[in-house]
Amino acid sequence: MRAGEFADAASAVCLLTGCALAFVAGVGLLRFPDTLSRMHTVAKPQVLGLLLVTLGLGLRLRSGIDIGMLVMVAFFQLTTVPVATHLVGHAVYRLPQLPTGDLAIDELGDGADPKR
Amino acid sequence: MTVGRIRSRTRRVLPLPVGWLTVVWVALWGTLTIANVLTGLVVAVLLQVLLPLPPAPGRLVFRPFGLVRFVVRFALDLVVSSLRVAWQALWPGRLPRSSVVGVALATRSDVLLTLTVLALNVIPGSIVVEIRRGRPTMLFIHALGADTPASVEAARRAVVRLEARVVAAFGTREERAVSTGTSGGGR
Repeated sequence: MRAGEFADAASAVCLLTGCALAFVAGVGLLRFPDTLSRMHTVAKPQVLGLLLVTLGLGLRLRSGIDIGMLVMVAFFQLTTVPVATHLVGHAVYRLPQLPTGDLAIDELGDGADPKR
Repeated sequence: MTVGRIRSRTRRVLPLPVGWLTVVWVALWGTLTIANVLTGLVVAVLLQVLLPLPPAPGRLVFRPFGLVRFVVRFALDLVVSSLRVAWQALWPGRLPRSSVVGVALATRSDVLLTLTVLALNVIPGSIVVEIRRGRPTMLFIHALGADTPASVEAARRAVVRLEARVVAAFGTREERAVSTGTSGGGR
């Protein structure tokens, strides 16, 4: 009984923290000035938020059939989001208008043409 | 590039992917029964025969100590970078400007390069914008909020350290020797 209550409490904390991070990721998406900066919110608070929500669900549901699925969700999130982030960043940097915002230091632009 | 065995026949059924696909199959069904494992094995073998992937370039070695260190640091970095981006998103003032930073990598292995790039998108303040193959391979990262030469240097060092951890966790003996030889001397 005690262990169950503890797991429920931990689950609540994980779910709420995860939701808060997903919310902040949304705020960042609106507030950041350019596409590359926005990709940071997709790559980080959003991923951790989703991991915490799956962890919270696992702690609450506590059955093999759900945990297997949740582990797969977490695994594929961790392996696919960096690829998506990289591809968007890569594509944005090559756009002719360079909507990369106001870069302080741009070592890629200083060198050769980004289209190689 | 010739380090490790490059498989010429793509239609071979390899034990590691079959095992992994079976694990995914059983996890998705949710229950560990003999029937699930057997159907998982059949599906995994069929997938390998019908939809063969091109041969993997190079080889992965799993080194337990380096792996644990890599995973723990990865989890810590994920939390730290999430909180940092969250803080930057909520901070009421204007964001400091960002930079695109070039980093020379020591490794020449495609697999280690892929793992480094995957993990890089999670460490504090960086996403990979461009990969330029060559000697050395150059990575260009977008460092959020890095607007001074000192913070750009810090972002560069973070990438070099991450690469060293990836090589320590997954690199072959030769790759680890190369890594400690160059990045250790450069620091």
